[in-house]
Amino acid sequence: MSSTEQGTSSAAPAEPTTAPESAAAPEVPESFYYVHGKDKVVHKVSAGALQHSALIHGMISNLGYTEEQAKANPFPFENIDGDILQMVVDWCNQHKGKPTPPEDTNLPKQKEKLFDLVLAVNYLEIKELLTYCCKQVAMMVKGKSPEEIREIWMIPTDAEDEAAEKEAKKRAGKEAAGETAAAAGDAK
Amino acid sequence: MKLSKFPYLVQNEIFDHMRHSDLFWLSFVSKNMKKLIKLSQITRFKCISHIVYDEPMLDKRLVYIPCKNIPENIMRIAEETKNAFEKKSKIANFQLNVSGKIIDFRVTKQYNLPEAFFHPNDRESAIESIHNYFLDLFGDSVECQWIANYPDDFIPHLHNLSLCISVGRSCISIKEMEALETFFASSPVLKHVRLETYARELFSPESKFYKADSIDLIQHYNAVPTFLHHFQGRQAVFSCSKCDISDLIEFMNRWRSGEAFQKLEYLKITITSNGIPLNEVLTAYGVKHLDATKTPPRHALPKVLKPLFFRITDPIISHTYIVRDTDNRVASVSIREDTLRFGVWKETEEEFLRMVE
Repeated sequence: MSSTEQGTSSAAPAEPTTAPESAAAPEVPESFYYVHGKDKVVHKVSAGALQHSALIHGMISNLGYTEEQAKANPFPFENIDGDILQMVVDWCNQHKGKPTPPEDTNLPKQKEKLFDLVLAVNYLEIKELLTYCCKQVAMMVKGKSPEEIREIWMIPTDAEDEAAEKEAKKRAGKEAAGETAAAAGDAK
Repeated sequence: MKLSKFPYLVQNEIFDHMRHSDLFWLSFVSKNMKKLIKLSQITRFKCISHIVYDEPMLDKRLVYIPCKNIPENIMRIAEETKNAFEKKSKIANFQLNVSGKIIDFRVTKQYNLPEAFFHPNDRESAIESIHNYFLDLFGDSVECQWIANYPDDFIPHLHNLSLCISVGRSCISIKEMEALETFFASSPVLKHVRLETYARELFSPESKFYKADSIDLIQHYNAVPTFLHHFQGRQAVFSCSKCDISDLIEFMNRWRSGEAFQKLEYLKITITSNGIPLNEVLTAYGVKHLDATKTPPRHALPKVLKPLFFRITDPIISHTYIVRDTDNRVASVSIREDTLRFGVWKETEEEFLRMVE
């Protein structure tokens, strides 16, 4: 039910096209909303599908938008890459009004894509999809040795942690000194 | 993918979906990671019933956490002799600082599970370091069970380590019983003891043997009075050649009065000689009978030990029971062929009778 079209950065989004409904049409006409990510491609999504996202659901339930208002005001998620938002929209559509299965095997296999998806899903507060993603991230280190886990998840060593901590302290000290000097300057 | 870039709650959820074994290996990656795991998994780790150091198979001891009847394997510990250690490859796949001791690990194709190996002279200190690491990560209160055969296997003395011991491969002689008593006296807490003996007498009344949580005993004489007089544990499966009915009745009276056996959950006594009228137990004072047309509830023993380690304990479905004076709790009593079964309920008599159909 989602549709996408390359949009522009202008306030008025391009007219999205609507794909045919895969499920049986509801009796009451369904309301639609529009979202776009970093790439400005606008996705038309039904309110039913968006219910998966606690964040968007909370936003739309307070708005009371008409179809025209919704179209004119797509929700901007500038912190989410376009292809990741597309995955999220597809998932919400596929699982609209359906109980979620215990496993989801359609998640990205590439580490970086999965990483971005986790962040997006966490931001959008899509609980079930976050659970699937976290399971998949957990599976990445199943049966691995500590060093292999470190590589996969890019975990710093103790020495690196200590160096970062020292650096942070140094920076905080400098900032505090700068603030003190600025305050003294102001006083003069 | 940088795990640290995920918000704390997301990291928690990832940890929630990891097996204990993977969290164990992850905790070695850095001190901060170990702290984070401990902090986020407090509740989950509190639910670990116990950690098992299984009996050695081909000199390798499997360490696992029993999770919903499926053991979750953590690692293997190779308990090699000096010769075997020197013959085998000394090349480790990786080394880890385990509670301050550097230990070599290898991953064998056979098991695909990291295996700690060390020189036999380092055995005690290496096992202690591994054990301390488990307690530090999973919580100091988690119980650890060391399964061993006496007298062949090494038995460490460590904090929070209880012993499940199978004594000898065959029957223990009278002479060996003395050595065994000394061994029990100096052993860690006894979780379970399996023993078969020809000795007429068991151990002295003060022996730690009677304090074992569960005992599986085969005795080729009448040891009913001695055993029942001193046993303080939770479960016992006991076979002996003969017994006096009065001893069994005395046992039931002592349980009923609350004088002894406060911890008892299950007792099964099998008399191997023919012609002992066990049914007389059911006519003793205080034994109550349910209506024969009713169906009694089924008493089942909670499975706390490896099935192979404890002889099969059938559930008890019996119309006869007794009630403890001190707390009104019920024990089902069943006699079937040559066996008396005694199962203690958590329920009071009133609650028990409500379960009768």
